[in-house]
Amino acid sequence: MRSFIDQLDECPAKLRAIKETIIANIVFLGQIPAPTFHEKQRAIKFLDRLVESDVDECTTDGYQNPIGIIRGRDNSQAPIVVVAHLDTAFGKDVDHNFVLTEKMIQGPGVLDNSVGVAAIASLPVIFKHLGLRFDSDIILAGVIQSLGKGNLRGIRHLVKTWPTPIRAAVCIEGGELGRLSYYSDGMTRCEIKCTISERGGAEHRFRPNAILVLHEVINQMLEIRLPQKPRSRVIIGKISGGHKHGTVAYEATLGLEIQSDADRMVKALFNDIKDIVTGIGHEFGVKMDLKTISNVSAARLKFNHPLVKASGEVMRHLGIPIIGDPSESELSIFLSKKIPAVTLGLTRGENYQQPNSRMEIEPMFKGIAQVIGTIQAIDSGVCDE
Amino acid sequence: MNNDWLKDNTFHYSQFNNIDCLVDEKHKKKLSISLCLPTLNEEKTIAKEIVIMKSELMTRYPLLDEIVVIDSGSTDDTVRIAKSFDAKVHLADDILPNHEKYKGKGENLWKALYICEGDIIIYLDADIKNIHHRFAYGLLGPLLLDDRIKYTKAFYDRPIAIGKSKVRPTGGGRVTELVIRPMFSLFFPELTQILQPLSGEYAGYREIFERIPFPIGYGVETSMILDICEQWGMDVIAQVDLEKRVHRNQDTKALGRMSFVVMKTFLNRLEKLGIVEFKKDIFDQIVQYQLVKNELRPDVLKMAGVERPPICDLAEYRAKFGNCP
Repeated sequence: MRSFIDQLDECPAKLRAIKETIIANIVFLGQIPAPTFHEKQRAIKFLDRLVESDVDECTTDGYQNPIGIIRGRDNSQAPIVVVAHLDTAFGKDVDHNFVLTEKMIQGPGVLDNSVGVAAIASLPVIFKHLGLRFDSDIILAGVIQSLGKGNLRGIRHLVKTWPTPIRAAVCIEGGELGRLSYYSDGMTRCEIKCTISERGGAEHRFRPNAILVLHEVINQMLEIRLPQKPRSRVIIGKISGGHKHGTVAYEATLGLEIQSDADRMVKALFNDIKDIVTGIGHEFGVKMDLKTISNVSAARLKFNHPLVKASGEVMRHLGIPIIGDPSESELSIFLSKKIPAVTLGLTRGENYQQPNSRMEIEPMFKGIAQVIGTIQAIDSGVCDE
Repeated sequence: MNNDWLKDNTFHYSQFNNIDCLVDEKHKKKLSISLCLPTLNEEKTIAKEIVIMKSELMTRYPLLDEIVVIDSGSTDDTVRIAKSFDAKVHLADDILPNHEKYKGKGENLWKALYICEGDIIIYLDADIKNIHHRFAYGLLGPLLLDDRIKYTKAFYDRPIAIGKSKVRPTGGGRVTELVIRPMFSLFFPELTQILQPLSGEYAGYREIFERIPFPIGYGVETSMILDICEQWGMDVIAQVDLEKRVHRNQDTKALGRMSFVVMKTFLNRLEKLGIVEFKKDIFDQIVQYQLVKNELRPDVLKMAGVERPPICDLAEYRAKFGNCP
């Protein structure tokens, strides 16, 4: 492993020399709006960029995930998958024209995850520029329908239907550089909706307020005792409701996520919340719905798994401080299928989820170098031990 | 009016997206190509233009030989940003220093002829938010593949249907529709076939640009069309549909100043061509009014309408590029 690790020293500088190619891909791909379920145009562009880079095979799978395959030297080796989600949280009504300055790129979704997608689209050119060839086939995939209600459908399909075993996978996210995710918590993302009939009459002596009803739901959820082990938490992330200042709210919605490193705990917490919701619906005489939007199972590699160790060594060699975070994205699907995988962050930035999201250009070169080092480690056989 | 020019000399950029073919033709004809970006405070868009052109038309396909930025004296970060992405950056005031200095887009374009090395020069405005390399290769297509064509001009946006299945934009923005198109209709109806005469994206052979005068300001696009048509005829011009272009919107007052210069240039050309004769000099300042503390105050701006001569008249130019044919 040492030989390619030592060569990584020059990698960021060599990548800087072709920065225009990488930045152009960020701009071309990132400026195409790709809200979840509407990623088609971005998927076409992703595929076009792979075709223009003379990737050996470019196609879409049965779920319309765009995929490029760089053929390896040894067809007995299973392929290595490099993947990033194509979808972003921003609709077509948001101005997607990116602003590029000397050190930054700004635009909606640039960190989550246009830079990740663009890095994958740039890999064929980067490999040529660095003179790299691999034994394994390298599968370059942009996956659709990952975020929110997409519930990782694209990656689930890709992994489920891939016709051969997969040697290992590298998932790429825009931020933050230093992130080394090798485990996924169990997670259920759900929405609680309170609806009150707008019709008058004897149904309610005092008409309830949907926002106040949800307030009571929150109060009761806060009383749930969460264990230290398995590590568990309930995150209340979104709330919306009401119509105008002087009118009682007839509708309100609460978005939350239950996370735990044990699936049974996620299930138990979900049932507790379901009981709260049912009870409050009955007590207030209002319509309460609890809907599951997405879920993933807990899965992990051990910290001393060869892939985690190799990725860590690559990052340390490049001087990237390591942050071990869980990831409930594409990583969880690979891990749940017992495929070794890690998620790496490419660069630093700010306003991660905002329309004015900004990414730094310079750290990205180290970020891409670590991806290349990790692919080389996998290709050298670290996961085969 | 005969519409043949519109049919024969109107293209769509997608007709030229086989860029390998353009590169072959460029090499076969032993041509070099310069991209010139005139700038004044374009820090938000300049980097993107340089990066995309460099990535797609220099690194991926060797179509462009150089990217040159001619700056009018930006007070923002335009110059530093352009340099950081390895464009050749020149301050307009530093070029041909023995000549009087003026400020304006036309001045930058004229001076670019002295700086750029290419046989073909592409001029693109530097404020395009949705920049794509089609803006360059689309304009180059007819110049490289059609020997009749010496000058190409962009048009985009605002679709209307032509024939059964074709959709074309009608034309340009407010100044085009309210000023230049009525003027063309009155005096040169055949030129109304040029859908966006004021678009800031055009390309041409050096032999054309070096032999026409350049107004220093906004009038440059108007004079260019009139002068090229007069010297070589309309058939050397082509227009290329570049589809959508997103750029900064200008307020009505700014458009008023632009219209003033465009009209002045047009009227000068009419007089030069002997089409009209003015009994007295026309004025060179625009008066606009603004309300300040309930009082209407005139805002007077002098726009002299200075023109640079054909650059091949300059000894410095001939010393660098040889005598013009």
